[in-house]
Amino acid sequence: MSKTAVMSVNQAIARGFWEAGGRVATSYPGSPTVQIMESLLDYPDMTSRWAINEKVALEVAIGASIAGARSLVSMKHVGVNIAADPLMTFTQVETVGGFVLVVGDDPGLSSSQNEQDTRFFTRFANIPLLEPSTAQEAKDYVDEALVISEQWGTPVIIRLTSTLCHSQGVVQLGQRRDEPVEGFNEDQARFCMLPPYSRDQQHFMQQRMAALRELSEVSPLQQYEESSNLRCLIITSGISYQHLQELGADVSILKLGMSYPLPVQRIGELAALHQQVIVLEELMPFVEDELKAAGLAVEGKRYFSFTGELTPDDIRTGLIQAGVIPSALTSAAEDSHVVGRTPILCAGCPHRPIFHILKQAQAVVIGDIGCYSLGILEPFEVLKTNLSMGASLGMIQGVALAQRMAGNVKPLVATIGDGTFFHSGLSGLADLVNTRENITLLILDNRTTAMTGGQMTPTTRDFVKDEDLTGINLPELLRAFGVEDVQVVNQFHYDKTRRIIVSAMEHQGLSVIIATRPCALNFKLRYPHYYVDSDLCISCRQCIAVNCPPISMRAEAGTEEKRSFIDPDMCVGCSVCSQVCPVKAIKSSRSQEV
Amino acid sequence: MGTTSIWLAGVGGQGLVLTTRILTGVAFREGWDVKATDVVGLAQRGGKVWGTVRFGTKVHSPLISRGQGDFLLSFEDLEGLRWMEFLKPAATIIMGRDVIFPNRVLLEKEEYPDNVVSQFRAQGFRVTALPTKTMAKELGNARLANTILLGNLSRHLSWQLESWEDVISQNVPPKTIEGNLKAFAQGRKLVFPGESPPEDRG
Ligand SMILES: Cc1ncc(C[n+]2csc(CCOP(=O)(O)OP(=O)(O)O)c2C)c(N)n1
Ligand code: SF4
Ligand code: SF4
Ligand code: SF4
Repeated sequence: MSKTAVMSVNQAIARGFWEAGGRVATSYPGSPTVQIMESLLDYPDMTSRWAINEKVALEVAIGASIAGARSLVSMKHVGVNIAADPLMTFTQVETVGGFVLVVGDDPGLSSSQNEQDTRFFTRFANIPLLEPSTAQEAKDYVDEALVISEQWGTPVIIRLTSTLCHSQGVVQLGQRRDEPVEGFNEDQARFCMLPPYSRDQQHFMQQRMAALRELSEVSPLQQYEESSNLRCLIITSGISYQHLQELGADVSILKLGMSYPLPVQRIGELAALHQQVIVLEELMPFVEDELKAAGLAVEGKRYFSFTGELTPDDIRTGLIQAGVIPSALTSAAEDSHVVGRTPILCAGCPHRPIFHILKQAQAVVIGDIGCYSLGILEPFEVLKTNLSMGASLGMIQGVALAQRMAGNVKPLVATIGDGTFFHSGLSGLADLVNTRENITLLILDNRTTAMTGGQMTPTTRDFVKDEDLTGINLPELLRAFGVEDVQVVNQFHYDKTRRIIVSAMEHQGLSVIIATRPCALNFKLRYPHYYVDSDLCISCRQCIAVNCPPISMRAEAGTEEKRSFIDPDMCVGCSVCSQVCPVKAIKSSRSQEV
Repeated sequence: MGTTSIWLAGVGGQGLVLTTRILTGVAFREGWDVKATDVVGLAQRGGKVWGTVRFGTKVHSPLISRGQGDFLLSFEDLEGLRWMEFLKPAATIIMGRDVIFPNRVLLEKEEYPDNVVSQFRAQGFRVTALPTKTMAKELGNARLANTILLGNLSRHLSWQLESWEDVISQNVPPKTIEGNLKAFAQGRKLVFPGESPPEDRG
């Protein structure tokens, strides 16, 4: 018997690439696919690395592919937007080394700003799409994708979804195959995408899609299971197939392993055998619309939501509504109101004093994406916009212009993390340098991409000096861009930081403040804890407004009176709460010890 | 065998992902087909986290339907309460007593429930509530709380002790193996008269 192991779909993608003789893997972190690169980094005999953003990640993989190396690039759904420019033209190129793009969609928005459906990119870009439904398939499909890529000279997209990415199952392990790298064979007609060459490539792409359509009709990736009564056919793919199986309904199922291009002819033949055809797909009616356009009488979104994840319960409800399965009595416990739990900045988070100061200063803040997006939530509620990575720097210019037109001239503040700044903020900054508006830019340089699990940024290397890679010195970079007003602060010196922010907000033109304290969680920063001297506490709740997980108001034994209390196990001793307490009731346990 | 479904619920930073991995590993080692998932999302920042482990002869979906869970491992009282509707009537709940205030409770906008165990009982669930946090601290490492819970769960699953011990040893940091095995043994021993909790505020 061959060896088996339990792994997640993300890990199985990495394993599949290694077994298939993969050579170059790149990625930019984003949920739900972060773990793919984390696992890839553990495999020998190939080069795997994080890139500065998705566009660069894709370009590195493209370069490796045209020079003959099997390549993989992984990212979250919105990353494809960043990488779309090279992708849309690369699809015209006949690939050399197998090329696979693995994308994680996020139905239900468990950790994303939108719910876009990557399947539309495959049609837009003339790229075939594979959708695994288990860890085993995820591993196998990487190999399939590389083979298809090399055989037809096409990039291939593997699409995953959040629950699928993190779901674990049993996987058969194989050996690594050796796939030698040819090296770069110069061929302008193949790699220079300008007319006349790119004109020819339109025809190449069209023929390629025709061939892939034929492949889709006969591919063993399309699995058909027939019910005895031939009443209902359900067409589905990905994790929805596994949920459907769980219901044990007496239906025929066509499971699409390759869902673009669709095997339209085969589906037509199967549909003719059945009385009812239902498409079960998460998010948009991608398959349903395509089949309707081909003249087939199918249903789908009538029964299933276009938004959110489709759980086994949702699928059951939809199929009951469609008359496919009988309604069943469920005897679940009653759903009672349970207090919600929103994410909260960690104890000792360096973003906390900044938000507290901005709230006090009543700043209008144009936000960006990272842990600091939590500044949107109560009690801070200081970020007034949140869109896409790096967008704050362009948006703030536009807001300033329109505010002036509205006669509403107020200082504007933008907050951006180091990760986001290097991902897609640099060009926004270059355009902002000569602004005459009153704009204060706070770069929250916590030395890491904290939100996605603490990957390195260029300033990590500058901070952790023993890294053998050179980092980027932010203040020098800003001065080289021509920013005159650059200030560097340690934001755990609360009053000083407040004075600097307030005076920058009074200064006309662009001011940049770099807040330099590192992420408490990822750098495991911990100092002696703080405690409340309840004899001094006047219950004013200033410390509660700092909103740190260890701080709450608790009634003292035998009284109604509440006093502030700090959980010593959770406090990491950053001191911010003690600096806002008006009566100095919060003290360090360090001074207690001596 | 039909499928057995275990729901795990806690707060970011409590180590639920590792516990899910251990449980999945033992089920696999015992020869079952197994599917599992954990939902982390923004959980690193103190949000809710939950996971599932499902094992049997053939398991398709990693997710548990409403009313289908056999066990709930609760790492934090409020989080345990949140997923009650996914349990079968008379399901078994094993709670490691811990209270972590969510943001709206810290801000005094909502109250933390003080009767979690009685709410579970009122629904007819079988509850074992363990002071795992205190016990773990007595063992010298607060991180051992989850392993104590696993030990207690192991009373309900007919899996070999050796499988548990091997998988735990493979998954925890080498320096903590001894402590973890001790914690597991303690949890496995713990039985309360009528499975009633040693400390209940409700
Ligand atoms: C295009 C795109 N790629 C990836 C992500 C996932 N993501 C969210 S925030 C973030 C970066 C956060 O890093 P940083 O700006 O340094 O802030 P921190 O979390 O460290 O505070 C990433 C990569 C995304 N939202 N959009
Ligand atoms: S992970 Fe780091 S940056 Fe994010 S909230 Fe925690 S301490 Fe702050
Ligand atoms: S800020 Fe100081 S006085 Fe006010 S509640 Fe907190 S500890 Fe008490
Ligand atoms: S010192 Fe205060 S603000 Fe800092 S971690 Fe401790 S409780 Fe939180």
